[in-house]
Amino acid sequence: MDTLLYLIQGLGVALQPINLLWVTIGGLLGTIIGMLPGLGPATGVAVLLPLTFVMGPQASLITMAGVYYGAMYGGSRASILINTPGDGAAVAATFDGYPMTLSGRAEAALAISAIASFIGGIIATVIMVAIALPVARFALKFGPAEYFMLFVFALSATASMSKGNVSKGFISTILGLMIAMIGIDGQSGVKRFTFGVLELESGIDFLVIIIAVYAMGEVFKSFRGIAEGRKKAQKKFGRIWISKEEWKRSLMPILRSAPFGFIIGALPGAGGTMASLLSYNNEKNLSKHPDEFGSGAIEGVAAPESANNAASVGAMIPMLTLGIPGSGTTAVMMGALLMLGLQPGPMLFTQQSTIIWALIASMFVGNIILAIINIPLAGALVRVLSVPPKILYPIVLGLAFVGTYAISYSVVDFYLLIIFGLVGFFLSAAKIPVTPLILAVIIGNNMEQSFRRAYTISDGNLGIFFGSPLAIALFILTIASIAGPWLQKVVAKRKAAAEA
Amino acid sequence: MNISLISGVLALALGLVYTILALALPEASIGIPFAPRIFPSALGIAMILFSIILIFSELKKQKKENDQKKEKEKEKKKNNPYLRQILLTCVFSVLYAVLFNRIGYVFSTVLFLEAELWLFNGIKKWKLNTVVAVAFSLFIYIVFSKLLGVYLPLTPGIWI
Repeated sequence: MDTLLYLIQGLGVALQPINLLWVTIGGLLGTIIGMLPGLGPATGVAVLLPLTFVMGPQASLITMAGVYYGAMYGGSRASILINTPGDGAAVAATFDGYPMTLSGRAEAALAISAIASFIGGIIATVIMVAIALPVARFALKFGPAEYFMLFVFALSATASMSKGNVSKGFISTILGLMIAMIGIDGQSGVKRFTFGVLELESGIDFLVIIIAVYAMGEVFKSFRGIAEGRKKAQKKFGRIWISKEEWKRSLMPILRSAPFGFIIGALPGAGGTMASLLSYNNEKNLSKHPDEFGSGAIEGVAAPESANNAASVGAMIPMLTLGIPGSGTTAVMMGALLMLGLQPGPMLFTQQSTIIWALIASMFVGNIILAIINIPLAGALVRVLSVPPKILYPIVLGLAFVGTYAISYSVVDFYLLIIFGLVGFFLSAAKIPVTPLILAVIIGNNMEQSFRRAYTISDGNLGIFFGSPLAIALFILTIASIAGPWLQKVVAKRKAAAEA
Repeated sequence: MNISLISGVLALALGLVYTILALALPEASIGIPFAPRIFPSALGIAMILFSIILIFSELKKQKKENDQKKEKEKEKKKNNPYLRQILLTCVFSVLYAVLFNRIGYVFSTVLFLEAELWLFNGIKKWKLNTVVAVAFSLFIYIVFSKLLGVYLPLTPGIWI
């Protein structure tokens, strides 16, 4: 019953006209950023967040929720119309969305993607409302040692689930933690890795790193693709809607994919990308006509879009209740909370319940508003796609700098922005995933603090990290998360060898 | 050497340097004296371990891939012109940082965007570039500095 009461309170805040305006503006800006190739929700939130500080925590968070959802909608627009996904989570929308555009059914594809995202988002938010408080209450049982083990598990799961070489995932994670160590140690006052630079004593702001890696790094990468030009987007549309038959075909895939996506999203390391790809494959396997997939099956757009949005809500659960982000984007959202002075974790729900429930309520509102923006206005919004990226990328660069400046009004951050932009570019050139680094930068300090606290409580006895059933369970999960992908590889190799 | 191998070597070097620096950190005057060192040292050692794993797996891979070497060399040649643009972007960014407080947000941003648009869009479209650079700078300045109250540096002597 508490939950309902809190939710109604939250809706009261989110529905205030000024907040409705913010979520709409955020949604529009997010949609535009999301349509740019390579720029997804994480970049959108990171670049725009510092500029919203002045609005106060509530309005800022609500605007960011709008940007977040807007960028996801925008990502799938670009996937459907020009076959260039804004981020990984929108990749699955290209499989059938682009073929639909080619065969003159762009309207239906755009409509179903908005409808599926809407339904997926709403279902997932309902699940979230139901389980957020119980999970937060359970999380209160965690002591510092358990927390440390939880951080270890979350980071190693993210590292080992990232594509390609697992050791690269870990190198990225450790690099992130190393960056987080820079600055004065809060417990002892010892300066660590500051190399005598005064500005480094307060540590490197994680938002600078995020903007550097996601915005600067992407702009650097874009130089490679920019010369190739871009496919022309369709500009004239008929009525953006779907037929009854298309609706019938899509409904069940949407409903199935939402809870599925939510669960995947809530797991550490697995985010919207995995959720949308898995649900696409699921529907292909379940379908009566799997051969249509890939050549313009409407379910092939509906299912991943629903799963993707649901996953983005699911990822909020570990972030809000435990302080552990499950994906790059939620890491940025957690960064937003931290910057506003809110420490995500179980206490958040008791100490800052108004703000948190306003945020959750604005997920409902944001979903509705974006569906409204995206169905009738899709024709107008996609005009952004006809603005050449040659002009949009410099603008993103301009936003990255002004956003960075707004974090702490210091030009020194500009140099950090350049340095870490190059680091981000190098990492992606070396095919080292950047998401683990972002997660590590954000939770690094909390992770060390929980380690130190546990270490002090036990008087220097490392046994405390295996001292409770919960801690041991987390340790086993960590081992499993590392060994799992490795075992899969070995099994696959054996199979291949047996078949050969 | 491919880029994965290079990154492995770099990570190894970083791990070694970091571990040495971590072990040399000053002692805490309160609590357990070596507490500030433990976590960073563990990070350094973990970095060394994973970079060695990466180096070995890359060396193994390379033996297999010796035949495809020629293709990779072609790729490298393709990358070169973009490196110039990346480098120039860094130079422009540094200049932007230097000018930012001295000549104010609007003027430094117009210059910076003009330079970046030149890189991206070419010098021929200078009219469009100028419109975009000026419009963006003024828009951001008016919305954020005047309407929302985000402080942005002023140009000395002029109102903006």
